[in-house]
Amino acid sequence: MSGAILSVKNIIKRFSGTVALKGVDMELYPNEILALVGENGAGKSTLMKILSGIYPYGSYEGELLLGGKVCKFQSPADSEDAGIAMIYQELNLELDLSVGENILLGRYPRSALGFIDWKKVHREARTALDLLGVDIDTKVTVRNLNPSMQQLVSIARALYRNPSILILDEPTSVLTEKEANSLMEILRGLKEKGISCIYISHKLDEIFALCDRTVVFRDGEKISEYTKAAGYDSSKVIEDMIGRHLDAMYPVRKANIGEEVLRVEHFRVAHPFAYGKSIIEDASFSLHKGEILGLSGLVGAGRSELVSAIFGALPRQAGKLYLEGKEVTINSPIEAIQHGLGFLSEDRKKNGFIWTMSIRENMTLVCLRDLVKGLFVDKREENRRAQEYFEKLSVKAPSLDTQITNLSGGNQQKVILAKWLMSNIKILMLDEPTRGIDVGTKSEIYKLMQELTDMGISIILISSEMPELLAMCDRLVVLGKGVVQCEMLRGEANEVNLMRAASGT
Amino acid sequence: MPAKSQEPRAKRNVFKIFFDWFLRRPESGIILILVVFVTIVTIVNPTFLSWSNVVNILRASGFTMISVVGMSMILITGGLDLSIGSTFALGAVLCGLAITDWGLPVPVGILIGLLLGAACGTVNGLLIVKTGIPPMIVTLGMQYALRGTVSVLTKGVPIYPLPEGFTDLEPTKFFDIPIIVLIAVVIAIIGHFALSSTYFGRSVYALGGNQEAARISGINIQRTKMLVYILMGVLVAFAGMMTSSRLGSAEPSTGTGLEMKVICGAIIGGISISGGTGTMLGAALGAVFMEALTNSLTVMRIDVFWQNVVFGVVMILSVLLDQYKRSLIQRQSIKNTELKRTAVEAKGSAGGQ
Repeated sequence: MSGAILSVKNIIKRFSGTVALKGVDMELYPNEILALVGENGAGKSTLMKILSGIYPYGSYEGELLLGGKVCKFQSPADSEDAGIAMIYQELNLELDLSVGENILLGRYPRSALGFIDWKKVHREARTALDLLGVDIDTKVTVRNLNPSMQQLVSIARALYRNPSILILDEPTSVLTEKEANSLMEILRGLKEKGISCIYISHKLDEIFALCDRTVVFRDGEKISEYTKAAGYDSSKVIEDMIGRHLDAMYPVRKANIGEEVLRVEHFRVAHPFAYGKSIIEDASFSLHKGEILGLSGLVGAGRSELVSAIFGALPRQAGKLYLEGKEVTINSPIEAIQHGLGFLSEDRKKNGFIWTMSIRENMTLVCLRDLVKGLFVDKREENRRAQEYFEKLSVKAPSLDTQITNLSGGNQQKVILAKWLMSNIKILMLDEPTRGIDVGTKSEIYKLMQELTDMGISIILISSEMPELLAMCDRLVVLGKGVVQCEMLRGEANEVNLMRAASGT
Repeated sequence: MPAKSQEPRAKRNVFKIFFDWFLRRPESGIILILVVFVTIVTIVNPTFLSWSNVVNILRASGFTMISVVGMSMILITGGLDLSIGSTFALGAVLCGLAITDWGLPVPVGILIGLLLGAACGTVNGLLIVKTGIPPMIVTLGMQYALRGTVSVLTKGVPIYPLPEGFTDLEPTKFFDIPIIVLIAVVIAIIGHFALSSTYFGRSVYALGGNQEAARISGINIQRTKMLVYILMGVLVAFAGMMTSSRLGSAEPSTGTGLEMKVICGAIIGGISISGGTGTMLGAALGAVFMEALTNSLTVMRIDVFWQNVVFGVVMILSVLLDQYKRSLIQRQSIKNTELKRTAVEAKGSAGGQ
């Protein structure tokens, strides 16, 4: 067990009142891809923040050894200089700078006169991108790239700094299956070139395919360690993560499907970035009572845009909508809600919840209209309803008055779900409802979906996680190139034919 | 023994709980500032707290408070209105013209002034909602356009004298308290309930917190925005007319720089400049502070030319204070949440066993 390039020795990190890391030991070996897994709040990110110098030396107990030498990082720059590069879950690119400028940010080469040598900037950026085998024009503004391209740019930026250790935090959460696969190829290639990786992810299938060793964290402690050589057992890993026996991740889907509740005909939706283009050219499908309909497709296939347009959050260029056989026009979310539609959006922070509000206020945002008595909001009734759903969804928080920003991602998602469940919805559209959420909460959300359909609510589910779609959906609609590529029933669909349909091969 | 040793601990806890509660209140900052400020000025010159001076401060606060009520709502939605000084003047001037040159009765004149305010608010609101031009630009443009209209209407000459039926209004007193103070307090109380307990109020907060999330949650963003700007226009036009009633003349230059005082009062009263937070009580106290500050310069015999310097500095300081308080609360609440969460989880796991 010698020759570790990075070892962490008995690290304890205290925050006022809590201990985030309770004496953690960990090694990283050369040419290794190491996975860190654990529920939200297990201490993974805290450890990574220590490695990347965000929590400076002295703010924690224990030692950090890099190539046998004790490291005393005072800032992220120190860590970077020592050869540790970190790629964060939230992309931190300068959206209005070009790809090349982003890759070399802060390290621009100068010409003899002291000006920035732009030719060299783009040449070096090109080299970094070539390392990844991607073909992006280095002069393009990053804002114009899709999220997966942006992800690749931030990896190229990390590589340009010539690291010996690369840390990736949930790198595939914005990528489709195909793009995730190519990222994994890239990481394997880097491993051959002598770069070790620490890979943090909730997606166990990815980890099992990619990582040589997996370390499980729970409550600030290292619980167990598994190696690829010895073979992975997913149920064991999950049990270690959540600290209890996991009854199956997905509930057994019992569908009781009724008559048609929603029909979408010939929808056309504008492209969000490219002016004059349509991201959805012509899409038609229907949804039945008590059904879970999956929308599958690659990132950029327009799944989110399509449901946003159905909900009236984005304008539609053409198309008709029928609810229970009757044609309706929905031009705004207000009208959609009046017709019994609910929409859990893809990006919680951007348009899911209101930062400045408490759990209660976020929960009652949609149904508040019904709680008005005379001039005023009936606060007692508001409180009663919120409390009911707070308990029903077992939101983990001190009280209803807690600010929503203080909750973990999973609990925030529960609050947003409660917001829709509290209003009388018939159709619920869920756009990536389990993205960035810990395994325990995920499983709760799946159970909830089953319960909702039992009550006769219909669900449209968008997900980039194939197993999730396959386990939960009664029917799948695959979008690609702006049209519905095909429809598959539960049982017909598998990962291979879904992928084929989505990529149009 | 045990009882004795526990007592001081309990006491400290009560104090700490009170302190936590107080700090958490959005009004805590302004209350502290007011207390410290009044104490200092009173030590320098005790006449500051004399009844006649307090009435002076309150009367001046009345005018400001009426505008601060409207401005607070706009700021909470994440908006801004720089045109209020001009609306203030145009309301006064139009009403003045109506009841002098046009020979209309006083109530009709006031109604015209209020409608003018609503019209200015509507134009602001429509431009902001329909064109997407930032509120700062729209209302800065309106500030100039409306001030220009005042000049066109008056040719720069004050409208004087105003009929007695109009000039009698403002000086009315109710048990020694100027009527404007009572009106302002009533407006502030209505504003308070509108913000804290109505659907409209919740929409205002939601809008400033996260406009996109509010939109997807079915809140009528355009209507809410229109409403706050219209309300602002009506309130400030009313304040303008009351001022001209007090002076006995409608001055074309009246209300210049009003937006600065009003925005400053709202912010120092705890309304966040980035929207989403703040209370009416705090903002109303902020209005009182601004007038106490203006008054204190006179009381302390400081040259009146220093006033704008002081206003500018206070504005920047209040935002700084706002940021500091926010970070303090954030740290506190994260700590509390973590403590309670671990407690909840510990209880949960104990219960599970």
